[in-house]
Amino acid sequence: MADGDSSGSPALHTGRGPGRLLVAVYGLLALAATGRSVLQISEYYSRAPVAYLLSALAAVIYIVATVGLARGDRASVGVARVALTIELVGVLVVGAISYAVPDAFPDKTVWSHFGSGYGYVPLLLPILGLWWIRHTRTA
Amino acid sequence: MLKPLTIGLLAVSAVLAVIAGHHLVRRKVVDDLMIIVSAIIEVGLLVMLVVGLGKSGAIADGGEKATFIAYLFTVLLVLPATIYIAIKERGQWAMAIMVSGALVVMILIGRLQQVWSMNG
Repeated sequence: MADGDSSGSPALHTGRGPGRLLVAVYGLLALAATGRSVLQISEYYSRAPVAYLLSALAAVIYIVATVGLARGDRASVGVARVALTIELVGVLVVGAISYAVPDAFPDKTVWSHFGSGYGYVPLLLPILGLWWIRHTRTA
Repeated sequence: MLKPLTIGLLAVSAVLAVIAGHHLVRRKVVDDLMIIVSAIIEVGLLVMLVVGLGKSGAIADGGEKATFIAYLFTVLLVLPATIYIAIKERGQWAMAIMVSGALVVMILIGRLQQVWSMNG
């Protein structure tokens, strides 16, 4: 059983142990971001198209990261690492712009204000995730 | 919307979080008690879904109404998914996942109440 070796085993998998919690939180964020972007695009698209398209992009990236970390093979983790890096850059850039030019983001997105609407989870998660990937790779 | 049910659900979810925290410290796995408490929460959430759907017509804004309905359904899925993941994870992290799941249910119930009180 692949699942039996999760505790105390030296062979680290990105989707086991603490990684399982990370995947669960990523899954939830993917769901929240997807839900929000579907709603924003279908109901209020004309209000802020750029912000809403960014929401959709963020949602796709969260889904890719969730699946990549959960699968845990070399290629998937590589893809997840790219997704997490884009995510970290995205939350930092969009977060900074949303403070500098508030008019650019009239409505909340997952990344605006460094994810403060989501308890800063969108900012913390890619950092944790990238650290976790490093940790499992070097172990 | 249904204050007593909301408060009751928050309380039982908090109990689940405490049990999971206790099990985390004692290095226990998912047991019957957790399943029963989760089942009680799920029944309460089902009642909330039915009542909420019935009352959702009171929310005028289409987007807010959709958000409200989406939350009603989503919150039902959290604990089954949490228990599934926690059972698959044999280590101590299973209980950390259960604590998080209970907290997520509480956050979603809080959000439901928030959307309702702003629009209902």
